[in-house]
Amino acid sequence: MKVVSKIVIFIFLLFPQLFFSQQNHSAFEKEIIAKSKKIMGESNFNKAQYFFLQKEWDSTLVYSMKQLSIGNQNKEIENFCHFFRGFSFKEKKIFKESKKEFTSISKDFEFFNHSKMLLGQIVLEEKKFKEAINYFQEIEKLHEDELLGIKKSSVKHNLGLCYLHLKEFKKAEHYLLQSIKLEEKQNDSSILVGSYGDIATLYYDQYKDNLAIPYFEKAYHLSKKVKNYQLKQNAALNMAVVEKNRNHFAKALIYREEYDQWKDSLNNQNKIWEVAELEKQFAIKQKQKEVGLLQAENRIKIAERNGFFYSSIVLLLLLGTAVYFYREKIKTNKIILTQKEALDELNDTKDTLFSIVSHDLRSSVNAMKTSNTKLRENLATKNLDELDSLLHQNSAIANGTYNLLDNLLHWVLLQTKQSFFEVTSMRLYFIVELMAYNYLPLISEKNLVFENSVSKKDIVFADQESLKIILRNFLDNAIKFSKENGILKIYTQNTNEDYCELIIEDNGIGMSENTRTSLLKETTLMSKKENAEIIGTGLGMQLCKSMIQKNNGKLDIESELGKGTKIIVSLAKKYHNGQY
Amino acid sequence: MDNINVLIIEDKPSESDALIKGLQANNYTIAGLATNHKDALSLFYNNKVDIVIIDIFLNGLPDGLAFAESINADPNASKPFVFLTSSTDRKIFERAKLTKPFSYLMKPFNELELLYALELAFEKFYAQDDVFLSEEENTVISKEYLFVKKGKLLKKVDISDIIYIEVEEKYCNIITEKEKFVILISLTKILELFDSTVFCRTHRNFIANTKKITEIIPSDNLIILQGNHRVILSDKYKDIINKTYILK
Repeated sequence: MKVVSKIVIFIFLLFPQLFFSQQNHSAFEKEIIAKSKKIMGESNFNKAQYFFLQKEWDSTLVYSMKQLSIGNQNKEIENFCHFFRGFSFKEKKIFKESKKEFTSISKDFEFFNHSKMLLGQIVLEEKKFKEAINYFQEIEKLHEDELLGIKKSSVKHNLGLCYLHLKEFKKAEHYLLQSIKLEEKQNDSSILVGSYGDIATLYYDQYKDNLAIPYFEKAYHLSKKVKNYQLKQNAALNMAVVEKNRNHFAKALIYREEYDQWKDSLNNQNKIWEVAELEKQFAIKQKQKEVGLLQAENRIKIAERNGFFYSSIVLLLLLGTAVYFYREKIKTNKIILTQKEALDELNDTKDTLFSIVSHDLRSSVNAMKTSNTKLRENLATKNLDELDSLLHQNSAIANGTYNLLDNLLHWVLLQTKQSFFEVTSMRLYFIVELMAYNYLPLISEKNLVFENSVSKKDIVFADQESLKIILRNFLDNAIKFSKENGILKIYTQNTNEDYCELIIEDNGIGMSENTRTSLLKETTLMSKKENAEIIGTGLGMQLCKSMIQKNNGKLDIESELGKGTKIIVSLAKKYHNGQY
Repeated sequence: MDNINVLIIEDKPSESDALIKGLQANNYTIAGLATNHKDALSLFYNNKVDIVIIDIFLNGLPDGLAFAESINADPNASKPFVFLTSSTDRKIFERAKLTKPFSYLMKPFNELELLYALELAFEKFYAQDDVFLSEEENTVISKEYLFVKKGKLLKKVDISDIIYIEVEEKYCNIITEKEKFVILISLTKILELFDSTVFCRTHRNFIANTKKITEIIPSDNLIILQGNHRVILSDKYKDIINKTYILK
């Protein structure tokens, strides 16, 4: 029984040698790589081939199955897939499936012989020796060129093994010796140890001890060069058995000890492995602890960092709001400042206005007083002619004062925005007529030629009362600055689409360019008096400008000293929304 | 042509005196002078009034406004009116504006402004804007009267006094029992605003008062009206015969 078991051990040692162990880049592999390059498109095939070369059998099975399930493809890929699958199944010891795959490979497949070889090995493992012999013999007949990396020695060895199992010793001897010859050429110790073992067993089974022992010894000596403990152990054990049978107990004991030693060293190795494993585990635990510690540290750090982060955000926000409010405060301060400036300016205007108006009023009333005294004196002396002229003078003074007060009232109303303001359409001609009516006595007194040649068709949009005030002031001025027998004309010009230009023209004293520009300048300040005798407060002009602006109109002045003045008031022809 | 009757509601004698003087100088008849709300109402309902001048403030209260609001509430009695005010107070104006049609006269005013305000009130009240100031027309038509501007003066003509109207291009010859005058108005406006059951067109150029017809002579295409006025009856307008028959 021991012998049989030994033989079995050797047989198994032989099998995995076929494609990979020593033929890393066999023709087969090269062929596969070349093939996969050609068939780039088939990702499943590529993957299957990749995993096949990597000896990952399960993955190989999966992808080759996928490739096959696509169907309808070239025969070669199919054959490769079957081959991969057969090989993988064989490696996984699922022989039935493996056989199925190998048998479905077609004969024209490049590696058809390999598949045959593998089939032979499968049946050999299944102990169907005769069938195996059929396969191996077929391969043996092939020419060297067709083998593509299949080792003739392996074939012969396998054949020998088959015959050995079938107890056909002669044939077995023949093949094993042949394979040894070939293997010796290849000079692969570990294979040779097995082969020597096998042939020795062959002889030993036939009780040809003389022939067997040298091979056992050869195997034993060779095994010393090999690193495989299992081989060493087996060779030693074989020697021990042999010596025991020869009754060389002492030698047998030595071999047995050696066997034990190898076994121990194998065990030792295992123990070392175990210790190493334990150490490794310990180290891993240690590492894990460290990692845990570090993680905890990290967590603390992160917590710290987050805390810092949030607090900095809060601080930033606080800073932002503080800056915002500070800016708002500055803004409001600025607004307040500008308002204050505007108020100051207005206050100044008001003060100047007060002083001018009160001064004017005082002088007017004073003139009236002295005139009244004169009037009484003349009444006493019944100087009727003088009375008449004085009365005229008085009424003129009263008129002027009234106009001043009226302007003052409207100015105040405009400033406080209390007045009624309604823009309506109106015929400019009649408004001019209405206003000129008041001045007819003055006009005739100065002997002026007055002409209202505004067309009755001219319609403007404005507030009636403010337009009246504007006209009254400009008429008043025009008459005031006209010389005796002068000409006063009011007319319109319709050159603009949106505006009707009302022109009040006189040929009076006119004004300098400086006065003109200062009058047109946009300012709330009152213009200073230049000629106290004639020029009034400037309030009228200011009022007119404001009112024209409020009516969405424009003011322009053309004037020449000594030749006269043209006041041009542009008024809207169409109704403007907004602003009113 | 008759004078226009003006009712004045004004509490200050100095103001009312100036008003009366100005109005009379321009041939207006003063229908009455009220100094308070109550008097104003009784004078308004007991007199023939064509237009009212109302001072907004009576004895310091805005009773003038209240009066305007009350006469405005009765569409049969309401008449054109002009607010007289010395204030430019916006609040008062906003309230006054609600009493449509709204026209006002700001104190102090001159005679022209007074007349202008009255004319504007007529135009606005009878919704015939821009009549007196335009060069194309000079007559505002109400249900009872024609208000005609002759030169600077505004006069009224009782429509029921009109016997017939003869159209001559832009002009219309108005023939009443007593007089005959020309007004500026378009024919379409007359046809639109006159009572069509009373005034009928008899010819392209004639509109006759059917109440003044004395005789129709279809064979001569002639209608004889009161005062022996004759108008032509053209074939196109001969269905007037049927109408007048029913009327008689």
